[in-house]
Amino acid sequence: MAPKSRFTRLDAFTKTVDEARIRTTSGGIVTIVSLLVVVFLSWGEWSDYRRIVVHPELVVDKGRGERMDIHLNMTFPNMPCELLTLDVMDVSGEQQHGVAHGITKFRLKPSAEGGAEIESNAAQLHEKAEHLDPNYCGGCYGANAPATAQKPGCCNTCDEVREAYAQASWAFGRGEGVEQCEREHYAERLDQQREEGCRIEGLLQVNKVVGNFHLAPGRSFSNGNMHVHDLKNYWDLPEGKSHDFTHIIHSLRFGPQLPTAVVERMSGKNTWSNHHLNPLDATRQSTNDPNFNYMYFVKIVPTSYLPLGWEKRTPGYADGSIETHQYSVTSHKRSLMGGDDAQEGHPERLHARNGIPGVFFSYDISPMKVINREERAKTFLGFLSGLCAIVGGTLTVAAAVDRGLFEGASRLKKLRAKDL
Amino acid sequence: MDGYEKSSLNEDDFGAKGGIVSAFDAFPKSKPQYVTKTSGGGKWTVAMLFISAIFLWTEIGQWWRGAEHHTFAVEKGIGHDMQVNLDIVVKMDCNDLHVNVQDASGDRILAGDKLKRDATTWHQWVDAQGMHRLGKSQDGKLDTGEGWHGAHDEGFGEEHVHDIVALSRKKAKWAKTPSPKGRPDSCRMYGSLDLNRVQGDFHITARGHGYGGQHLDHDKFNFSHIISEMSYGPFYPSLVNPLDRTVNPAIVHFHKFQYFLSVVPTVYLTSNRVVNTNQYAVTEQSKVISDHQVPGIFFKYDIEPIMLSVAETRHGFFSFLVKIVNIFSGVMVAGHWGFTLSDWVREVIGKRRRSNGGIGVLGNKHGYDE
Repeated sequence: MAPKSRFTRLDAFTKTVDEARIRTTSGGIVTIVSLLVVVFLSWGEWSDYRRIVVHPELVVDKGRGERMDIHLNMTFPNMPCELLTLDVMDVSGEQQHGVAHGITKFRLKPSAEGGAEIESNAAQLHEKAEHLDPNYCGGCYGANAPATAQKPGCCNTCDEVREAYAQASWAFGRGEGVEQCEREHYAERLDQQREEGCRIEGLLQVNKVVGNFHLAPGRSFSNGNMHVHDLKNYWDLPEGKSHDFTHIIHSLRFGPQLPTAVVERMSGKNTWSNHHLNPLDATRQSTNDPNFNYMYFVKIVPTSYLPLGWEKRTPGYADGSIETHQYSVTSHKRSLMGGDDAQEGHPERLHARNGIPGVFFSYDISPMKVINREERAKTFLGFLSGLCAIVGGTLTVAAAVDRGLFEGASRLKKLRAKDL
Repeated sequence: MDGYEKSSLNEDDFGAKGGIVSAFDAFPKSKPQYVTKTSGGGKWTVAMLFISAIFLWTEIGQWWRGAEHHTFAVEKGIGHDMQVNLDIVVKMDCNDLHVNVQDASGDRILAGDKLKRDATTWHQWVDAQGMHRLGKSQDGKLDTGEGWHGAHDEGFGEEHVHDIVALSRKKAKWAKTPSPKGRPDSCRMYGSLDLNRVQGDFHITARGHGYGGQHLDHDKFNFSHIISEMSYGPFYPSLVNPLDRTVNPAIVHFHKFQYFLSVVPTVYLTSNRVVNTNQYAVTEQSKVISDHQVPGIFFKYDIEPIMLSVAETRHGFFSFLVKIVNIFSGVMVAGHWGFTLSDWVREVIGKRRRSNGGIGVLGNKHGYDE
């Protein structure tokens, strides 16, 4: 025998000499079963280790001076593109009237004809007057010529006259009696579009402050402190035709969209939250009343999504982190005639009167920011220790079971032997 | 010998006949004749059993209580309506009070039409339920009327989610107004109504002041009030909100009470029930105003976009069982080790004593290891 050290006594793994050991069938079965259990539990531990959990954190949003993107895609089946205006206003005093940059309007066929998109080359509303004398200088009918006019000081096209009117805060209407518009057949073309719909799609950039944007009929302008829309063309309709603000929101989001895989991972089982699903997507509201106003009260929560290992990638652009916004929303609708909500079972609710028909979004930005961070459910060491716990625990239990079986069997044998 | 025969019988049964399967046996058992049972080992076993029983007990308790998991999310879906539940006694005649709500959507809600009004006497309410002013207890300490149990509170004065959920099961029923003793001098207004889920203002004013109607004599103004219930969302009478049981007396006729509420949607989840409700934080302002202003009781409320969720989670029974087994076996292994260690220590000490008692021979080191 090898020389004994003083640690021999400390041996936690005492071995029984082979001659004194018995191997039993029941022991074999227990061993096999326990091995299977170990494999099964280890597999569970492994998948737990590989699992990525999304851990939300709440911080105060410390960014400043940021702009926010609004991605918008909406359809108005009963509003021609010519009449539809998108305006943005916020508490900083910034106003964007008739936003056209970054926004595309698609003319849609009347809903009776299926509402498909009209080819863009046919969508030309303002035909260019090419037969003009080079020295021609159209009058602006008392308004000042817009700064964007092709020829300074002149209103050579119907568009320029309308622009001049809007800057002077005058209603324009159908352009009857305005030479440029009659030449361009503005009124006739407008009437042609009367039954068409419009899809508006694009991106708006706004300040990250409380504000609102709305889609309303007619050209908009500021009159003192008032925001006014030229509703003349909305009201003055040929007999039997009408517009209304029935609308479908295909998508509305603030900031980039997360990849679908991420959304699926986050939504998981819980039914009470909608991680990164935009609540207004695929919303439809219908009305037959031209005097109808829809409001959406949107509360925006800045959110960033940090995927696994985002710190290791090159900082700055494309490090994999996504800065976006989630929002909660409350909808409200009312007729401009006022009245109560008796149809919806709330006769005590009196609506305000007057206002502008349209779809209004007023947004408010939360000071709290949500950070969704991807994390491994377990560290590697945690996984290893879990594995050891599984192996050790199972084998100890199996040994106990086996010991019990063995003792039980030998007792039984003893009893039988006595009976014999 | 009898004993010898039996053990040989065992050997036949388990050893020889087992064949292939028994070859897998990773737990070879010592033959009984080689196993010694000592009273020291027995003591250790009992001690270890005792310790594992303690662990087991705490573990079971923890599992049974479950863990409370707090998280938050931005609210789902498109909101529309929000229920408000109000039960308030104002020391004025019922016909002299106007209740209106105005909100950010421009709607005016005639809340007065939806609330029930009962004439009552002030004293029946003040003395009945040991009420106190919002913000201060009798000795000037901060007291919101919520039953704070130490530092930990899941809301509504309850420590545990399951308590909140259990309380929410109780029937939503408004208490009856006690029949007035003597001439009624107050008005109890109570009920639930739906508001738009937007920022708004809840106004309780006097007739002819603020919302029209026949002018009311200024001497009749008394906006002393008792709030018995003020909550948002479904009506759960048993859940205590910060404004519940608030008494706020007016000193003069022209008194303006303002409450600023931030409503936080909250969802409580247990394994079998989900309670969707709202908590709120409140700030109170009350002041004497000039007679050009409108006196009254005003609640200004706003809804927070981030929703809280308090979930009670309990591990599955199976994983609990695995944990128990782990603990038990861990204790047993540790016990075995401890027993070996103590045995060794005893032997070393015993040897030293013996050698000390004998002749002091140098180099008795070998003795340790024998």
